[in-house]
Amino acid sequence: MMNGLRMYGLLFRASIRSRMQYRFNFWFSSVMLAVISIVEFLLLAIVLLKFGHIKGWSLAEAGWLFSVLSLSRALYRTVANDVHNIESYLVSGELDGLLLRPIPVLSALMSRNVSFRFGEVFQGIGILAVSMSTLMREGQIGWLSIPLTVFVILSGAVLLFAIGLITATAGFWLTRITELQNITEDAARTAVQYPMSIYPRWLQGILVGIIPVGFANYMPGLFVLRGDTGWWMLPLTACIAGALFILALFVWRFGLSRYQSTGS
Amino acid sequence: MLFYVLARKTYVRNLQYRGAHLINTIASSLFGFIYMSIWAAIATDQPLGEYGSAGIVSYVAFNQCSLWVAAFLTNGLGIEQSVRTGGIALELMRPTHLFYQLMCKEWGQIAYQFVYKFLPIYALYAVVLPMYMPHSLKTWLATAVALLLAGYISICINYLIGATALWTTESRWLFWVNYAFNSLLSGFLIPLEWLPKPLAFIAHWSSYPSLNYIPTRIYLGLSSPSTLVRSVAWAVFLTICCLGLTKLMRRKVEVQGG
Repeated sequence: MMNGLRMYGLLFRASIRSRMQYRFNFWFSSVMLAVISIVEFLLLAIVLLKFGHIKGWSLAEAGWLFSVLSLSRALYRTVANDVHNIESYLVSGELDGLLLRPIPVLSALMSRNVSFRFGEVFQGIGILAVSMSTLMREGQIGWLSIPLTVFVILSGAVLLFAIGLITATAGFWLTRITELQNITEDAARTAVQYPMSIYPRWLQGILVGIIPVGFANYMPGLFVLRGDTGWWMLPLTACIAGALFILALFVWRFGLSRYQSTGS
Repeated sequence: MLFYVLARKTYVRNLQYRGAHLINTIASSLFGFIYMSIWAAIATDQPLGEYGSAGIVSYVAFNQCSLWVAAFLTNGLGIEQSVRTGGIALELMRPTHLFYQLMCKEWGQIAYQFVYKFLPIYALYAVVLPMYMPHSLKTWLATAVALLLAGYISICINYLIGATALWTTESRWLFWVNYAFNSLLSGFLIPLEWLPKPLAFIAHWSSYPSLNYIPTRIYLGLSSPSTLVRSVAWAVFLTICCLGLTKLMRRKVEVQGG
């Protein structure tokens, strides 16, 4: 385990060094990602500025939900970018090369094409800071909410990683998984960028029970922002993220044992 | 004839992936439900102007369908990939203009997406939502023309984005940035009259409203077909830009070696 982590750290740094050989590309892609993310938030902000609130959720609260999810995603995609891009490895047969390496396949995959998501991180921290300071001024939350928010972001990153890994594992049977990722990662994440209470019950059920991405921001947000539910919501959130992560590792190991190369 | 052959080939190639695309269609309809839920939640305690709560749901639903004609095109019409493999040199040498070749292929893509994505999502929404349907043939025809113009304008924009691959290795990001601006300035989620003034001003002077806002308002009977004049003007202007840029591309081509 320790050896795997050490190797991951080494390969992670090597990947950053290789990316930094193309500095312009690196900064250009970072700025573009930030622009995309800001425009996504603008869509939500414009609606809330025009109509005041959405099912009782203010702009500051919605900003918290949006930025917490943004930061969790940036963290997940920074440490495990190519887990999301596994399809190209499966289609081209490139995964065979990783199987020959003297390190776990997952570590090798995670450490390739590391993408530091500066743009998303700065944008996320900016929106989070503005949202939280507004809520603090209004007396809705206190200083304690800062460490709790950090906890929610970290737990959310683990949860998103677990969902991403389970989806990636499906690729061992399906090979092409972009369409599946469209549902489990993109649609689910887009849905919880907005307060979940706006959705019909069946959709809320999916986002909490089947693809539990609601635990990345909305569910813990109920406690951190509003004191609804009880303190137990945070340990529950972490437990769900941890349990799903362990399940994802088991599923990954099983899927890898069933891997058949495309031979291309 | 060449138009038909190239478009048909793209259409038939796409048919091979109908199964995978079906999941994609489900995901797309889910996205639509997400956006509709936002407006449904707002409409519970506020009036929504000339749209009303039922109208805004139809507005978002039709926009979600239209994305498959006006937004989800081949990234940069595949030019970036051609530059990467070196194939662009061959394509520029062909006796047919590069813009025309790629446009023909893309119409095949749009036709496929219309049949296998636009129509199924539209049918689903028509069944499960109180979706507005135009009553006059004139409105249906004007909507069809508006969608054709939207598809054409989107092809031109993607051609311009793809062409930048000749000068930068990062052109694919422009595709995503264009998509992000499209969702904001085309009136896809928020009708243009509800945008803050500076953004509404930018939107009105850009080609984006021709992709969603104009076709959907014509469909809903809120705008007259005469608003299509703007789309036609943009189509002409962007065609000139595409032809001019191709001239520039033919002067000097540097490929990445394949």
